[in-house]
Amino acid sequence: MKEQAQIDNRTARWENLDDPSWAWAPYRPDAQRPWSLELAAHLYRRAAFGANWGELQQALADGPELAVGKLLRPKAGAAAFNEAYDAYENAGTGSEGGAPAWWLRRLIQTPCPVLEQMTLFWHNHFAITNARVNNPEMMCRYVHLLRRNALGRFDVLLESVLDEPAVLVCLGARANRKARPSLDFARSLMEQFTLGPGRFSEQDVQGAARALTGWFVSQGKAHFIPREHDQGAKKLLGREGDFDRKDLLRLLLEQPATAQLVVRKLHRWFVSETASLPDALVAPLAADFAKDFDAGKLVETVLRSNLFFSGYRQKIKSPVQYAVGLVRGLEATVGTVRLAADLADLGQDLFQPPTLKGWAGGQHWINRFTLLGRARLAEELLAGSGPYGGKLDPAATASKYGQSGPEAASRFLLQLFLQGDLPEKTRQALLAGQAPGPAQGPDSLRRFGALLAALPEWHLA
Amino acid sequence: MQNNLDIMQTTRREFLRTALGASTMLAFSPAVPGFLGRAALAAAAGRQDRDSVLVVVQLSGGNDGLNTVVPYEDDAYHRNRPTLRLTAERVLKLDSGLGLHPDMGAFLRLYREGHLAVIQGVGYSNSNRDHEPAMRDWHTARPLETLTQTGWLGRAIDRACKAGRTDVPGVFAGPIPSPFGLQAEEAIVPAIKSLDQWLPAPEWAAASRPDPQGSAAGAPGNANPLPDFLRRATLDASAGAARLRAVLEGAAATGPAPYPGFPLARTLQSVAQLIRAELGIRIYFAELGGGGIGGFDTHAGQAANQGALLRELSESVAAFLDDLRRDRLLDRVWLMTFSEFGRALSENGRRGTGHGAAAPVFLAGGGLKGGLVGPHPSLVDLDADAPKFHTDFRRVYATVLDRWLGFDSLAVLGERFAPLEVAI
Repeated sequence: MKEQAQIDNRTARWENLDDPSWAWAPYRPDAQRPWSLELAAHLYRRAAFGANWGELQQALADGPELAVGKLLRPKAGAAAFNEAYDAYENAGTGSEGGAPAWWLRRLIQTPCPVLEQMTLFWHNHFAITNARVNNPEMMCRYVHLLRRNALGRFDVLLESVLDEPAVLVCLGARANRKARPSLDFARSLMEQFTLGPGRFSEQDVQGAARALTGWFVSQGKAHFIPREHDQGAKKLLGREGDFDRKDLLRLLLEQPATAQLVVRKLHRWFVSETASLPDALVAPLAADFAKDFDAGKLVETVLRSNLFFSGYRQKIKSPVQYAVGLVRGLEATVGTVRLAADLADLGQDLFQPPTLKGWAGGQHWINRFTLLGRARLAEELLAGSGPYGGKLDPAATASKYGQSGPEAASRFLLQLFLQGDLPEKTRQALLAGQAPGPAQGPDSLRRFGALLAALPEWHLA
Repeated sequence: MQNNLDIMQTTRREFLRTALGASTMLAFSPAVPGFLGRAALAAAAGRQDRDSVLVVVQLSGGNDGLNTVVPYEDDAYHRNRPTLRLTAERVLKLDSGLGLHPDMGAFLRLYREGHLAVIQGVGYSNSNRDHEPAMRDWHTARPLETLTQTGWLGRAIDRACKAGRTDVPGVFAGPIPSPFGLQAEEAIVPAIKSLDQWLPAPEWAAASRPDPQGSAAGAPGNANPLPDFLRRATLDASAGAARLRAVLEGAAATGPAPYPGFPLARTLQSVAQLIRAELGIRIYFAELGGGGIGGFDTHAGQAANQGALLRELSESVAAFLDDLRRDRLLDRVWLMTFSEFGRALSENGRRGTGHGAAAPVFLAGGGLKGGLVGPHPSLVDLDADAPKFHTDFRRVYATVLDRWLGFDSLAVLGERFAPLEVAI
């Protein structure tokens, strides 16, 4: 009871969630809803894969307005960091698993984690897989494009995505001939990238496929070949005209369904997986988004909102978030070639989402084996030796913040990773195991960390 | 069936015991935390669930069906295979002028015991003869749809995943990356290279056990269901790990089961241990031939290569079935083999054969009618020098889905295919 009550109590104070003007209004702490370590950690889990202790303390001191602002504004050196990693990634595509390993390393070390969260969001939205493209260079190019536009304009991103050879190859649209328009390509564009399922007819698919004719992939690039473009009149979404790709995208973006799809997905990504967003809450945000398709502004509205801070622990960590949060929290880095393979085993293979729908996420991440595998991975990450070489050292992290000795360090880890979210009995039982005594060895804090990372509460973002 | 029920009830008892400590009755008292009460109810509701298991073994590279199930009385066979032909003296005779490859003695025994069905002439219209697209056709079970994003077993697994349950309906077992046949849209299908890989330290099981007193009483309204879900899932995972550990320790105590030293045998031994641990896995996928363009691709020097692989297949499968039989689990398990295509009738100049079309599929296990299913394809009326199919491979899939696993094959295959009458 206590545990649930604890987590629910944090949300019970958020009362007017059905009222859009309140739900999307920026959260302002007050006596009923004070800014706290829990909410600072919530912000960092959702927006930044988790926080280290310094970040948590700073956010606590800053308050939500400044803390969100700092996460959203690029830091000095961010551009240089990403350029360097783009180069590493390009160079890494030659070796097996090179590209995912570099991306994971970037996730661990990035100075702008929100940008990576959004890059992953778009990778999940434009869910192209190397399983079909089978060309790591093309895949890296595509992810670099997503990153460059991750907090930019969605309309620009959408058009650029269709210029990416990886996207065309994955959708079976290398050659969009006048005589053989690609219905699958058109359907994917409408169903997955813009309108969403059930928002268009077969006639629309045919019209869209014809509007897309003329686009070809050759020599690793997308080209438009005018004589292969069908210039005839097409019927599309209740309109008729000699539409080409640009017209098609304009028509798709004009449909309210497109902005609504992005808003719904973004809500599930950042706020809550437990309930779908009511239409009344989608509408105002989608209408606003449709004015300029500024994804950065949309993300900012979401991250500042009352609704965002009400979604406490209403998400399940993805495997990437599970591992990267642990590593970032302990302010270290680990070998990511191995990590990429382990995370693929847990269901998240970067560059290879399972289908065009992306990763199903939420409760789908969890089954008997993935839970055991997560516990095993945490053990290996925290072990003093073994495949990850003991790079994570919770005792060192704790002592950096002045917490030495097994008991103080254990309390520190609890505060850092779970704040107050454990039932008191569990908390006491865990700490009892850390009391000074003959059972204490140099690795006991490592084992304690691994036990924490296998608790049900740990898997909640 | 009596056995099966006993096993399932034992498991359920064990589950509740593990979940609740000493008192099983606690599960039914009104004071019981909501999530445990629901878990008990779900377990009780599961009583009607089938617990049959399918093991699929992929033979990578295109196994030569004609030298696996040999038409040794057919002149055309001998004429076209000057060096590779297997004579009447060498084959292991079945019925109807057919014999098994001489390295498949273990399969002959299973055949005589009624635990092996040989489905002949399996393939599909306009079958592809390139490895990758042909394998993809067998994996997707939708040969005409090049953009299909999921495998047939992945779709079966997605459909078998029930909301709020954390069973794993299917896994891949083996050292290569998971084959596309298991690609699911939602479910995460584990790839099991070794059982240790999935077992955290034993102390985890104790520490991760949520305290029932401190847990959620299914809160009403729109309260967050995730903490409750994760507590149940953690409990369930730790109970599963404990059962698997007990199986492994039991095996260590009684000495190694008699399996031959082949990699496939080791994989199937792990499968048997997973079946014993009652983790709710209905579908296992294993592979022989090394993945990629596998060892069955015998363009040259076929005799020795194919013989070694067929020996590995038959001896490993027979050891697996014997192992299951000891624990009276055989009646719950079917094993099915497939390869992306058979091979051409004519031997090439390098004591090998080219890519072909139809080939036999083996079904081994309990609860099936052993024997030959369908005629051997003609060696005169050919499909570009290869045996023609008469049984669409999706009829075999429909058989294992509908008749064995109790899954709806229409939902998985997208079309209705007539099952074969091989189940008892």
